[in-house]
Amino acid sequence: MKFNKMLAAVGVTSMLMGTALAGCSSDSSGDGGSSDGEQVTVELAGWGSTPEEKELLNQTLQEFEESHPNIKVEHEVIADQYMDVMKTRLVGGEAADVFYLDAFEAPGLAKTGVLEPLDEYVTDEFDVDDFQDPLLNAFKFDDKQYGFPKDFSTLALFYDKQAFEEAGLEGPPKTWDELREYADKLTVDEDGDGQPDQYGLGFSSELARQFYKLHPYGAKVTNENNEAAFASDKAIEALQPIVDMKKDKIAALPSDAGTDWGGDMFGQGKAAMVIEGNWTVPFLESNFSDKDYATAELPTVNGEKATAAFTVAYVMNKQSEVKDAAWELISYLTGKEGMKTWTSKGLALPTRESVAAELGFDEDPIRKAFVAGASYAQPWQAGPNLPTINNNFNNQFTSALLGDQSLEEALKKAQETANKEIKASN
Amino acid sequence: MSKGMKEGISGYLFMTPTIFTIGVFVVIPILYAFYLSLNDVQLLGGIGYEFIGLENYTRTLDDTRAMIALKNTAEYVLIVVPVQTCLALLLAAALNSNIRGKNAFRIIFFLPTVTSSAVLTIIFMWMYNPDGLINTFLSFLSLPTYNWLADPDIALKSIMIMNIWATAPFFMVIYLAAMQDISDSVYEAATIDGANWWQKFIFITVPILKPVTFFVVVMGVIGTFQLFDQSYIFSGGSGGPNNSTLTVVLLIYQYAFKSLDMGYASALAVVLAFIIMIVTIIQKKFFGEEKLHD
Repeated sequence: MKFNKMLAAVGVTSMLMGTALAGCSSDSSGDGGSSDGEQVTVELAGWGSTPEEKELLNQTLQEFEESHPNIKVEHEVIADQYMDVMKTRLVGGEAADVFYLDAFEAPGLAKTGVLEPLDEYVTDEFDVDDFQDPLLNAFKFDDKQYGFPKDFSTLALFYDKQAFEEAGLEGPPKTWDELREYADKLTVDEDGDGQPDQYGLGFSSELARQFYKLHPYGAKVTNENNEAAFASDKAIEALQPIVDMKKDKIAALPSDAGTDWGGDMFGQGKAAMVIEGNWTVPFLESNFSDKDYATAELPTVNGEKATAAFTVAYVMNKQSEVKDAAWELISYLTGKEGMKTWTSKGLALPTRESVAAELGFDEDPIRKAFVAGASYAQPWQAGPNLPTINNNFNNQFTSALLGDQSLEEALKKAQETANKEIKASN
Repeated sequence: MSKGMKEGISGYLFMTPTIFTIGVFVVIPILYAFYLSLNDVQLLGGIGYEFIGLENYTRTLDDTRAMIALKNTAEYVLIVVPVQTCLALLLAAALNSNIRGKNAFRIIFFLPTVTSSAVLTIIFMWMYNPDGLINTFLSFLSLPTYNWLADPDIALKSIMIMNIWATAPFFMVIYLAAMQDISDSVYEAATIDGANWWQKFIFITVPILKPVTFFVVVMGVIGTFQLFDQSYIFSGGSGGPNNSTLTVVLLIYQYAFKSLDMGYASALAVVLAFIIMIVTIIQKKFFGEEKLHD
C-alpha cells in the first residue's frame, strides 16, 4: 500500500517533469546555410499596412520569388508596437533576417551592433548613387551603410476645395502668416457653442510633425552630444504660431474633434486643412472618395521652404544565417525593378531618382507637392536618443497646447527631463 | 527508514510538480529580477551585466517620470479602492434584500467582470469620444461635457470611472456570498430591539463582514497598484496626455521593452513590490486586530 503510493508519486512527478522539460529542449533548428541549389527561406518582417499596400508588397515578393527560384520569402506582419517586438526578438535571437527600420530608430539600433553593414554586399549594378542622398544618409553611420530606404513620404498641405470656396479663398496659403489668416476664415461654428464644427487647420502635436519648423529659425532638436536642445528662444519663435492658433481655436488636434488622426479629421470635414503625409492619399481615396481636395507644398517657415521627410529602410539582421539570400532580397526590393513595382501606385514615393522620373509622380496633381518637398525636406532623425527626446517633447508640448503652461516652460521642462533620462541611461 | 520519514518523502514527492512549477515560473523570476535591479543590463548586441549596486534605486529618486507615475498610481488607488469597496457593499446589500428580479440583477451587475478588460477599455474609449455616448448624454442633460481622453486633467479620472464600474461587481459577489452566511437570527433579534434597516446594516452587517472587507481592500489595492492595460490602451502605450495616465507598471513596461533598460525596470518593479507589501501590512494592522470568533 505504502509502496504503491510512493510509486504513484514518483510516476506522476516524473511525467510532469518530463513534459515540462521536453518543452524547453525542442530546439532542433535545421541549418540555414545555402548550399548549392537548395531552397533557402528568408524571413521578412514589417508592420501592418493598408490592404492596397499589402497587395503591392505581395506582388513585389512574388516577382522576386519567380526570378530567384531558390529563395523563398516568409513575410510576417507585426501589427502593434513594432519596435518593442523587434527589439525583444533581436535580444532573443529570433528576429527576421530582413526587416523594416524607421529612420527615427535607426541610429539607436545601429549603435548596438545588431545590424549587418551592407557595404560589402553592394555591387555596381545596384547603383547606390541613384538614391536621394538625404534618405540614404539617414541609414549611414560611421561611414557604414546599414540599410537602403524602401520609400519615403514628405508632409504637404491638404485642403478642402469646397470649404475654400465657401470661405471665398482661392489657392493654398504660401506662408505661415497666410495659413493663420486662412485658418481663421475657414473655422466654422454653426451652432455657436464655442466649439467649431469645422476647424481651419488640423495638426498633430508630435515632435515628428513639428521639428521641421525649427531649422528655418536656426533652432535645433539636439546638440552635438545628442542631447535635447530645443528649449531655445528661436525654437519658441518657431513653435509659438501653432500654439497660438490652437489657443484661438482655429487649429485643433485630431482628438479635439473626436478623430484618431489628421486624415480622418480632414475626411470627416472637421478640418478644412491638414498637414499630413503621402499615406493620406490612399486613405481618402478608399474612405472618402467624394472628397474634393487638393494638395500643396507646406507654407514657408520664416521665409524658407521646409517640410519633414519620413523614410523606412530594409535592414539585415547581423545574426541572420542566410545573409547572401537576405541581401538578394534587400537588393531586389530596393533595386530599380522591385521599387518600381512597390511604388507604382504612389502609396509611397520611390527613393531612387530614376524610378521617380520613370513613374512621373512629379506631374501627378495630388502627388507633385510631396515630390517637390523631397529636395528640401529634413529627414525625421536626430541621433540615438531621439525616442527619449520625442517622448518628453510630446508630453510637455501637449500641455502647452492646452494652455496649462507657457511654451517656454513646456520646452524647458521637456528638455531637462529628456537630458536627465539620457544621462541616467548611458 | 522510519514511517514518518517515508511519509515525509512521499509528501514532498507529491509536491514536487508544484514546487518545480512555482520555482521555475515564480521564485526564480523574482530572484532574477532582484539580481537584475542591481545591474546595468545591456541586451541588444550581446548580453552584458555590470554590477552597479544600488544605483538603479537611487536613480528612481531623481526620475521625474517615476515620481509622476507613483503619484498617479497613488491617486488612483486612493480614489478607486474606497469607492469600489463601498459600491460593492451597497450593491450586495441591495441584492441581498428581497427585491423583485434580484437574480436578473445579479447577472446583469456581474457582466462587466466577465468581459475582458481590453474589450471594456475599447468600448469605453468609444463612449468617451468627444462626440460619443457620454458627452451626448451629458449635453442632453445640459451638463458640461469633457474631452475624456485627451484632457490631462480628466484622462486618469476616465480610467477610474471605468475601472470602478468594471471591478465593483466582482467584489459585490464576494460580499453577497458573505452576507448570505450571516444568520437570520441576528437580524431577528435586532428587529425585536427595534432597529431599522440602516441600523442593522451599519451595526450588524458591516462589522460581521470585516474580514471580507479586509480581503476586498487588499485585493483592490494590489489590483489598482498594478494598473496597466487600461492606461496602456487609453494612451497607446505612451502614458499621455502629458503623463497623466502614466502608471508605475506602464513606466516599467516602457523602460523594459521600449528602452530595453532591464536593470532599471527591475528596480522599479522591486520598489513597487515593496510599496504594495508595506501598504498590505498597514491594512492588516487596521483590519486584523479583532478577529471573528465563532
